[in-house]
Amino acid sequence: MTNKKIVYHPIPPEIEILAGRHGNEPEAALELLKEIQTHPSALTTDSISDAARALKLPPHQLYGMATFYSMLSLGERKKVLRVCDGPVCWLKRATMDDGQQTIVQWSSKAGGQWSVERTSCLGLCDRAPAVLVEVEQAGPVEAEEAGKVCDGWRGTPTDYSEVRKGEVRVMTSLIGKIDPDSIEGAMANGIYDGLKKALQTNPDAILTEIETSGLQGRGGAGFPVGRKWRFVANEKRTPRYIICNADESEPLILKDRVLIDTNPHQLLEGMTIAGYASGASEAWIYIRGEYEYQARRLEIAIEQAESKNLLGGNILGSGFSFNIHVHRGAGAYICGEETALIESLEGKRGEPRLRPPYPPQFGFRGQPTAVNNVESFCAVPHIVKNGAEWWRSLTNAPTPGTKVYMVLGHIKNAGLFEAPFGLTLREIIEDFGGGMEKGSKFQFALCGGAAGTIVDKTMLDVPIDFASSQKGISLGAGSFLICDQSVSPVAFLREILHFFAAESCGKCTPCRVGTWRSLKILNRMAAGEGQKGDIDELKILAALMQDASFCGLGQSVAIPMKSVMEHFGKEFARAEGH
Amino acid sequence: MINLKINGKSIQAEPGKTILQVAKEHDVHVPTLCYHKDLSPTGNCRMCVVEVKGGRFLQAACVTPIWEGMEIETENEKVMKDRKLTLELMLANHPVDCMICDAAGKCELQDLAYEYQAQIPAWGTKGTRYPVNSDPNPFIRVDMNKCILCRRCVLACEEIQGRDVWGVAKRGFDEIIVAGAGVTMLEARCESCGQCVAFCPTGALSNKMNYGMARAHQVKKVATICSYCGVGCQFDLLVKNNKVIGVSSNPDAPVNGMALCVKGRYAYDYIHHPERLVKPRVRKYLLEGKRKSDIRDSIAEGRKPKVGLSNIESPWDWVEVEWDKALDIVAEKFAETRMKFGADSLGFLTSAKCLNEENYLMNKLARQVVGTNNIDHCARL
Repeated sequence: MTNKKIVYHPIPPEIEILAGRHGNEPEAALELLKEIQTHPSALTTDSISDAARALKLPPHQLYGMATFYSMLSLGERKKVLRVCDGPVCWLKRATMDDGQQTIVQWSSKAGGQWSVERTSCLGLCDRAPAVLVEVEQAGPVEAEEAGKVCDGWRGTPTDYSEVRKGEVRVMTSLIGKIDPDSIEGAMANGIYDGLKKALQTNPDAILTEIETSGLQGRGGAGFPVGRKWRFVANEKRTPRYIICNADESEPLILKDRVLIDTNPHQLLEGMTIAGYASGASEAWIYIRGEYEYQARRLEIAIEQAESKNLLGGNILGSGFSFNIHVHRGAGAYICGEETALIESLEGKRGEPRLRPPYPPQFGFRGQPTAVNNVESFCAVPHIVKNGAEWWRSLTNAPTPGTKVYMVLGHIKNAGLFEAPFGLTLREIIEDFGGGMEKGSKFQFALCGGAAGTIVDKTMLDVPIDFASSQKGISLGAGSFLICDQSVSPVAFLREILHFFAAESCGKCTPCRVGTWRSLKILNRMAAGEGQKGDIDELKILAALMQDASFCGLGQSVAIPMKSVMEHFGKEFARAEGH
Repeated sequence: MINLKINGKSIQAEPGKTILQVAKEHDVHVPTLCYHKDLSPTGNCRMCVVEVKGGRFLQAACVTPIWEGMEIETENEKVMKDRKLTLELMLANHPVDCMICDAAGKCELQDLAYEYQAQIPAWGTKGTRYPVNSDPNPFIRVDMNKCILCRRCVLACEEIQGRDVWGVAKRGFDEIIVAGAGVTMLEARCESCGQCVAFCPTGALSNKMNYGMARAHQVKKVATICSYCGVGCQFDLLVKNNKVIGVSSNPDAPVNGMALCVKGRYAYDYIHHPERLVKPRVRKYLLEGKRKSDIRDSIAEGRKPKVGLSNIESPWDWVEVEWDKALDIVAEKFAETRMKFGADSLGFLTSAKCLNEENYLMNKLARQVVGTNNIDHCARL
């Protein structure tokens, strides 16, 4: 590197115009970068520096973002085809290799004008194997069909209008019954009735109702929703904010996409009630960049709700005003961590913040903020409408209410369903999943999500809820990937680590190097080149990441690592070379 | 006051403090790497992890606030094991060249590896990922292979110097510290203050001017005050064999702490410079008792660069003289000018390189002896 002569030049007009559209707001950094990427000037050191000047930010901040988010790339850009690398898509590929071959196949079939890249799970597990064509979701599609896909074919979307035996549908009750892009249809089916009822009572009563209902956050951690809102409501400072976490980037999880796709107004209603109860006036839906369809659907829904005065100023004459904005991410699993999400929303790299202070005290723009999952918000209108007692009466399990589950893998009827808490893995497979695929025998299941437990048949009859992780089987965000005898537990763990190594933000040492090192070991073991001591090293690394990582991402990598090595010690020992 | 226990010992501490602060106050050693007292704590490196009773995970002492009834273990088996392993993860990708590394002896990573007897793992990239000496900055040597991503440089540049040159790019294992939008430091508006070097705990950032000139234990540190301006920054001159070979920040400096500017930190090479003036010089014509008007023609000649070993002398040449002679000439010229054009035709410019007392005397000379208020000081420039 040599120094270029530094000469002052004014900000090029095209970048000035793009930045000006966002009011030169630093918070718009991510949108601006995305726009420059598709603009002829592309993302280069020059255009990034110019954009930084326009936003009055240091250039390194924008450069850091441009190299952080997977949907942004430097240099001239071809059309991008992203091939999903998630564990479900991996299972669906006959070779179950490390993914390199698939990329090569897609590249050769797609033709020169396409740049084919791997991507972490796209949230299209029910349409596996899936790809993202620019921003359009496609699946199931195989590499042989690349030509068709490039010409506009998008595979077959899944249909969940048929109710499975044993399902209790609350949040998913209107799937297939309403046109998601029509507010009239939604209103005719009782959407926004909860909001109308809420606006007639006082905010404190709503908080109490949600607290009494025992609704727990559906993102995976299960924190009581009512308590979180109460924290925000009790903060003296205003404005307060509501954020919906729709950055559903964990492999195996697709419920938020389906909930938004089938009934966006239900989410808006839940968020508005949350705003009313906790005294917030503004809200953001942080949706992952790969869910462009869903983001557009939400924007349409917001517009419709505003035209009916169900959003905006003085909602239905109640004096309560509330606005919802949609913010698209740009490809980063870590942004599902609530503080990283807030950082990203503020126009920075999506790195987790120090906690405490927690978002209810110090959240978006440093103000009190409630961050909840899509599904949590979707449950709210039903609780307000039907009462906490009704919600509790839906199940006898310790966790009240229903949950949207996903069951995937080697079973007959993969997909999404809604049922009360406390199901066992056997019920999930046999009753809801229609049993194992023909010729398949249950070997293990990944429970919760990529950061969940991997269990063998000894866990088939343990009722699963937020507390069951103590017993060794986690609920997480409610997804279950069922694998048969054909899947090597070692190769499977490699896929999980592949994901975490790709998505680690790099902030803290244990996660940054630990995921990378674990993946190296597993690559070797899965290729039949295991060495003595590999298992011990994996165990040590897992313990370190769990104990000493900065945030939940690193801390939870150990969960699948430890559980699979515990249940499949023999397979690992064999891969080590014994 | 908050009651808590560190390693079984009951202590009281003020609310709002972190575990690390309380531990320091009570002489409990907790190792740190990304933490620096002058920078905002970040909790990145995870070296300062401690176990808090009842917690599911270890806590970083530098960022975790204390609470009532907290029970902290700073040196139990789990904590020590995790710290050692964290160090090993850093060492695996760090070059194994302590023998020739400029930072050896003052490297915090090396100290911790020694303290924890952390072995360098057989695996890892061993610092082969990036070009060595990768930036053309004239003062700062950059070797990102040695970087452990503690981000102190980023914070030093942002919080102390306010220049925002360094930043973090990419993610996961590929994460790297970059200048600006992936450009050279100078292109990223670096003013070469060297704050980042002073805060770097390893050899990733070092000084080019004295690279390879001395080990930390071979230099004598002499505390002094910077002579460039009136701020009064304190720093240590690094002296080896009676020669000043560098400057290092003194963390206890009352005025400036670790901070220095490019002049204070890097403009020390005049001290032993062969062209440095150590004796007064006057123009030859003055020694000959001539006036400038007498030699006007030869001035132009004398200003031309001398060619080769030419011995042609010009009355415009400099001649080394004794102090008395030089001062006599100055005094004579001053008196003459003052007589002819009045006291305000003279002006005095003093220097930050002189002592306060000397500057005071200069003030007396100007105002009382000569009789003019035309006096100023270079520190105002």
